[in-house]
Order: sequence, then structure tokens, then C-alpha cells
Amino acid sequence: MITIEDLSFRCSDIRNAGVAKVGGDYLLLVTIQGLEGYYYIYPAFSDDGYHFEVGEEPLMAPSEEGPFRVYEELGVMDPRVVQMDGRYYICYNALSVHGFRLGLAETEDFRKVRRIGLISEPDTKAGTLFPEKVKGKYVRLERPREGNSIWISYSEDLKYWGWSEVVMTPRAGFWDSDRIGASTPPFKTEHGWLFVYYGVRKTSAGPLYRLGAAILDLEDPSKVVGRTNVPILSPREEYERIGDVPNIVFSCGMVVEDGQVKLYYGAANSCICVGTTEVEEIIKACKESIREF
Amino acid sequence: MRRRKLGRDVFHRWEGNPVLTLEDIPFRCNTVFNGTPVKLGREYLLLLRVEGQQGYSFFALAKSWDGFHFEVEEIPVLFPAREGVFGVYEQEGIEDPRATSLDGCYYVMYTAYSKYGPRIALAKTEDFHTFERIALISEPGNKDGVLFPEKIGGRYVRLDRPIGLGVGSIWISYSDDLYAWGDSKVLLSPREGYWDSYRVGASVPPIKTGWGWLEIYHGVQMTSSGPVYRVGTALLDLEDPSKVVARCKVPLLSPREDYERIGDVPNVVFACGAIVEPDGEVKMYYGAADTCLCVATAKLEDIIMYTVSG
Repeated sequence: MITIEDLSFRCSDIRNAGVAKVGGDYLLLVTIQGLEGYYYIYPAFSDDGYHFEVGEEPLMAPSEEGPFRVYEELGVMDPRVVQMDGRYYICYNALSVHGFRLGLAETEDFRKVRRIGLISEPDTKAGTLFPEKVKGKYVRLERPREGNSIWISYSEDLKYWGWSEVVMTPRAGFWDSDRIGASTPPFKTEHGWLFVYYGVRKTSAGPLYRLGAAILDLEDPSKVVGRTNVPILSPREEYERIGDVPNIVFSCGMVVEDGQVKLYYGAANSCICVGTTEVEEIIKACKESIREF
Repeated sequence: MRRRKLGRDVFHRWEGNPVLTLEDIPFRCNTVFNGTPVKLGREYLLLLRVEGQQGYSFFALAKSWDGFHFEVEEIPVLFPAREGVFGVYEQEGIEDPRATSLDGCYYVMYTAYSKYGPRIALAKTEDFHTFERIALISEPGNKDGVLFPEKIGGRYVRLDRPIGLGVGSIWISYSDDLYAWGDSKVLLSPREGYWDSYRVGASVPPIKTGWGWLEIYHGVQMTSSGPVYRVGTALLDLEDPSKVVARCKVPLLSPREDYERIGDVPNVVFACGAIVEPDGEVKMYYGAADTCLCVATAKLEDIIMYTVSG
């Protein structure tokens, strides 16, 4: 959908994209690595969800202000967007010499983005808010470095977080044996909170990034109700296998319309793609936990 | 002319060191090392990390009237939790307690260990025999949590040691309720070429002084045969402890004695607490070589002087 050729400026590579639906239009928040090596988030606009126009100015660039200046020095990336309380919340990775942290920002219109805070300890990434409070608290998923697992944390004010617990861990011998992290924000279904996650398996030539899915309990989202045994998307095409980091499909967001899913993903850290399926199909894959034998 | 004898380090070791070894524990165990002291009236209490023979750690209590000669109680006072959320994250033990007197009771920050990694836990006690666990307050991969002995700007404050991009630095975090923490900032990082070039972490809960909050921390240098742990100090601004006012250039205590160099983990001096006596003498309790517990003393003024002027 989007490659370097589609940009009006030079850059190093295109990583992945979060997505929001604004009115009837689609907005991608694309992570782009500048030629100098820092990361920026650019907006891309579309009215059909397939043909996008990338903006000329970043929506978010490393901040010059307050504590953000220190922790975003090397870039902002991998935004996950949820709509809640009449506005959009963007949970992104802030990168500096002190490590990765989660930053949280809010916006009404994607013209002006207001930063709320740096909400995690260092080397936590792949953070996403839930699109509503659960039992009176804001909830997020995240991937602390230690253990390479998906964790859950809670907050009353979006600034101070606690009650952290582990939710899902890598599975020995599986396609997701080395590392996992939340990809899309959780989507509410009658079966539970459905989300797509990425799973990594290390090979002698580097990591293989694939996508799986899981369902969390509606009332207690620290409980896993279903999880796919096999990936729902793997690198197969040349544009997923050839790039700055080969063999990656990595999503930061999906749009659900009448049960139809548009899953936006970065491929080989070099372009943005879209794949489609139905919510029911993903739920089936989680529930049935397909085993090959 | 005879040169004045300086002593090996700014901190002076007690000639009776080690204070406690395996031989002093009234039950079989592997080692006793990191311990945190409090003074209850005239009595000194030491909450001790004991590593059991099975390999996981728990806490025992020792008592003393002079701060040097301790008697260890026969029954350990806190074991890893077996159930609930603490049961999950304490599966492989509880380690390195740090006690802080605050709001009329004692808070103990310790490291909860499990297959999910180390994280910081917080418990509360009045008598060091019964403990009420409050919460697991950090993400995984974080340890060396110390709580400030008073609220600052209306908030509780802690130091901790997460790891970012492989670098272990001391960070500061804040909380309104001791459960949810945020506003985290990096405070002290390792210094290239220094004795604390590999990793730094908070050791002793911050001590309020006229010059600022005194933080006695541990600094690690990596060698070809493993790490060397030493003791350093920094002063933090009283009103805004995220500001470093001064930091020592040289360590105030380094492994020198046999009991600091020989043990399960050689070349480690690691403090978890200190008592400031009314006359300004600081008694710092430290684990040595992960195998025994020791004490060293220094005048508070000397510590400040070496922190400021190096």
C-alpha cells in the first residue's frame, strides 16, 4: 500500500502503522525512520482504507519539551490508537539512550496532539490501551523486556500505573517461542477482548515475526480465554521477505466494520500492507486453538 | 616522617566482622547476607536475607543492643507467598529487603523473584514479625527499590533499578497511594571508565541531611572474571529529589577483606540499610561476597564531604 516511492521526502525505511477511523475516513499513523536514523510518526489519509496519501509533515516527532525531550531523543514509533471518552489516545514507543518507554498522547482531530505522560518503566514497549475502562480502571497491555511476555497494567488517571500482571508468555517450540507483544488494541466481542499479537521465533539468520491472536476475559482481562496455536499471518510474499529487516509482518492496528477486518501491517520494515479477514474467523482460530496434528 | 594512617576506605569496618555468618543461623541454610536495619527504641533489628539450601531466599530477624552483636531468631519471619498474586511472583524467593519508617509504621521494599523475572514488592510491618503485603509495584526486570522516609510534594517517592537497552541505572518514581506509580525519570547512570561503569542501583533508603537526601548506592564494574560491587554515594535535592546535587567520584567502600572476596559471589559489598546515630555516626550494614553480613561505620559529615568533594 505504501512504500518509500509514495513519499514526498527521503527516508531510511517505513516500519508499521497504527490506524484510526475519523468520520468516514481512514487515518494511518506510520512509523518512518529518517535518513539520520531517528523515528517519526507520519499521518496517511484515505477514504477507502486502501489508497493512502502520506502527509508531508510528521504528526509526532521527538519532543522538545519537558521530560519528553529526554526520553524521545532517538524517536517516537509504533503508535496504537484507541477511541475513548470522545477522543483518541495514542500509545507509542519513546526511544532514547535510556531505553524504550511507553508514551501516551491524546488528540481530538489528529491536527494537534497533546502528550499526557511517559507511562512505563524503561524497556517496555508494544503498549496499547483498552478502548474502555474495565471495573473503573483504565487498562493497558504492554511488553516489558524481562521475560518477553505480554503484561497488563491498570490506572485510575492514565498517569500512575500499577497492579501489573503477566498475561501471556512465549511458548517453547512454537512459532512464538522467543518473544510476544500486543499488536492491535483489544476489540470488544461477546467472547471477550480480541486482539492480534506478534510472535517471534529466532533463527540463525535473525528473527521471524508472525501474527497470532488471543481473547481475554471481558470482566478480568488478565485471563486468557483463547489463543491461536498457529499464526494467522506469516511472511510469505517478497515484500514481506525482502527489506531492511527481512521476514517481518508486524501490525499496530486494525479497523473492524460490520465484522470485516482490515489489518494494517508493516512488512520487512520497509512498507505498509493490509490484509483482510472476518472477526468470526479470528475468534474461531483462537477458540478452536487449531493444532496441526 | 610517618604518614598518617588513612584506613583503606572512608567506611571503617568493624573489627568483629562479619557480624553474621551461616554459623550464627539457628537453622541450616546456604548463606545469610543482605540485611536492612531499624532501631526500635534502644534495640537494633536486622531483617536478613537468608538463602535456603534449596536455593531460594526468605527473611529472618536478628536483634542486638549495641548494633554489632546480633542474635538470630529461630523462626524466619517472612517466606515467599504461596498463593494469590504474590504467590505467582515470589515463586523463586524474596530478596534484598529495605526498611523505611514512614507514617508511623515500617515499609519494606523487597525483590520478588519468579520465572517472570525480578520485580519490586512492598509490605508493611510494625514489629517485623507480622507483615502485610501491599502490592507488587514494579514491572518485571526491576529491583533495588527503596522508599523515601517521607512524602515529598504530597507524593510517595521511590528509587529503583530498571534496565534500559542493557544499562542498569537508578530511576525515581512517584505515587499517591503506594499502588500506582508513575512520573518515572532516570536519576543516576553508570559512568564510563569509573568504578561504577557497568551498573548502578539504589542500596540504602535515602537519608535526610542538611545537604540533601543522601543515597548510598552500589556501583558495579565488570571484569573478565565477573562483577566487582562497591559502595558509592550521591546527594539529591531535598525538595526535588530527581535533581542530583552531588555524586562521589570514588567508592566509599570496596571489597578488600577475605570475607568480602571469598564466597558464593566474590568481590561484593552490598548495603541494604544504615542507622544514623544521634552523634552522627552512620552504621552501614552490608552483605559481603553474598555469603555473610557485615557492618562498617563512618561519620555522616565525612560521607557528605567525600560525596561533594570526591
